[in-house]
Amino acid sequence: MKMMRQASGSWLLETKGLTKKLGGKAVVRDVDLRIGEGDIYGFLGPNGAGKTTTIRMLLGLAKPTRGGVTVFGKSLAANRMDILRHVGSLVEYPSYYGHLTGTENLEVIRRLLDVPKERIAEALSIVRLEKDARRAVKGYSLGMKQRLGIAAALLGNPRLLILDEPTNGLDPAGIQEMRELIKSLPGQRGVTILLSSHLLSEVELMATKVGIISSGSLIYQDSIASLKARTAGRIRFAVSEPEAAWQRLLELGFEAERDQSRLTVGGAADRTVAYIVAELVRRGHSVYRVEEERSSLESVFLEMTGTGGSL
Amino acid sequence: MIGRMLSVELLKIRRKLLWLLAALGPIGVIGLQAVNYGLRYDYLMKLHADDPWGGLLLQAGSLMLPALFIGLALVASMSAGIEHQAGAWKQLLALPVTRLQVFAGKVLLSLLLLLASCTLLLLLTLGMGLLLGFEPQVPWADIVSQSYLPYLAALPFIALQSWLSIVMANQALPLTVGTLGMVFSMFSVLMPQWMPWSWPDRAVRSADALQAAGSGLALGVLVLLIGYAHFARKDVS
Repeated sequence: MKMMRQASGSWLLETKGLTKKLGGKAVVRDVDLRIGEGDIYGFLGPNGAGKTTTIRMLLGLAKPTRGGVTVFGKSLAANRMDILRHVGSLVEYPSYYGHLTGTENLEVIRRLLDVPKERIAEALSIVRLEKDARRAVKGYSLGMKQRLGIAAALLGNPRLLILDEPTNGLDPAGIQEMRELIKSLPGQRGVTILLSSHLLSEVELMATKVGIISSGSLIYQDSIASLKARTAGRIRFAVSEPEAAWQRLLELGFEAERDQSRLTVGGAADRTVAYIVAELVRRGHSVYRVEEERSSLESVFLEMTGTGGSL
Repeated sequence: MIGRMLSVELLKIRRKLLWLLAALGPIGVIGLQAVNYGLRYDYLMKLHADDPWGGLLLQAGSLMLPALFIGLALVASMSAGIEHQAGAWKQLLALPVTRLQVFAGKVLLSLLLLLASCTLLLLLTLGMGLLLGFEPQVPWADIVSQSYLPYLAALPFIALQSWLSIVMANQALPLTVGTLGMVFSMFSVLMPQWMPWSWPDRAVRSADALQAAGSGLALGVLVLLIGYAHFARKDVS
């Protein structure tokens, strides 16, 4: 356990200029990930942005064209075996030997990790699969297979857990369950988690920190709170005679945007909102609705990734 | 560590019928010989009157080679296919094991299964000869060398098929290569000695059987090294 001690101030996982070219095209370009101990790091991006390729490089499954990965303060290229002993992973879809039982599947991994047999029962109980452990995995539901994948990732008592799209293909109940499971891990077991997703709403509910990747480049990396702060205070007004109302707001010096009968004003404090409403009413406009834009986090994400409405 | 890899490989083929496949080859070869001797016992016994054991080995050898060629391709494909089917390469290689251990585990599994086939063939040949009442002086050296020398001479093909089956998710190409190899090997008498497809045949019962087996061993190791070098550099999807 001593090897896992890291110098204070350094990151648990860090990449520098991580780049992967496939057929001359950079699918991952100069990515500098920084994940601290105890973080639940949400790695966000549209499909095809380079999330899985990045994760493959973090696990040594693919070799970077350029740049390097440092985990637990050590270079992955030079210390792959040492590092992987303390990393659990679930990449894209769960791997399972369908003809073997849940227990046998974990036994395969247990022998390679060389951990005590009791770990299998422990891992099964964390994901609540004890009852189905003696059945062949091909009869499992997708959610159960996904949970078995998590159990496999937890088997070696990892310090870092890398989960690629862990809620993919699950039904709402399964997603909820997976979310609770993931959120409970850092507190209970001191695990740091890297979690990728193409759904902001998903990551928002679990992550403490986010990195957003688009077309291979990391375009944002900060705490989830700062991402939320960027989106605060956009107020939407639904009014009668919107054209005239819009002109009036512009005359008053507000940077208002007009979308048919709706006007949007950014960065509006309570007093400003009250002032705008009073002004509009005084001008004879009917104010039908005043709303705070709820989906704004999503729109910031879309704006940043430049993918419009087609994720 | 390599023992642990092999124990894992053996665990993974539980309920997979790979052992049955390995047994089917020799059972088929000797089963057909039983039919052969059943139908024309008098003729065959007269033909090999001075050496009935040698006759049986000659008859069995001609069937054994195609069975070995196709069997090694099937075994290699099925053992690698377990990983492809499970989508497990990424899981396996993200564990603290080296690529060499993973590659060696797969090759060793195929080698072990085929070794079991050859041993079963030896036992069945022996049993059949004794049942037919051949003289009790068993020509041990001939039976042992016929059972295991072709296996060594076929090592380049075991290596090639393992390599192809491991690096390709679609098993159609490796199996095609394996089948063509079997067909090709049937014309081994027409081949110059340097062609590896003729080695298993020469290892059955020619004066230079040992040389054929030795060449197979050497080339097999070389092909394994090339295959491993490729696998070690390959990105895993």
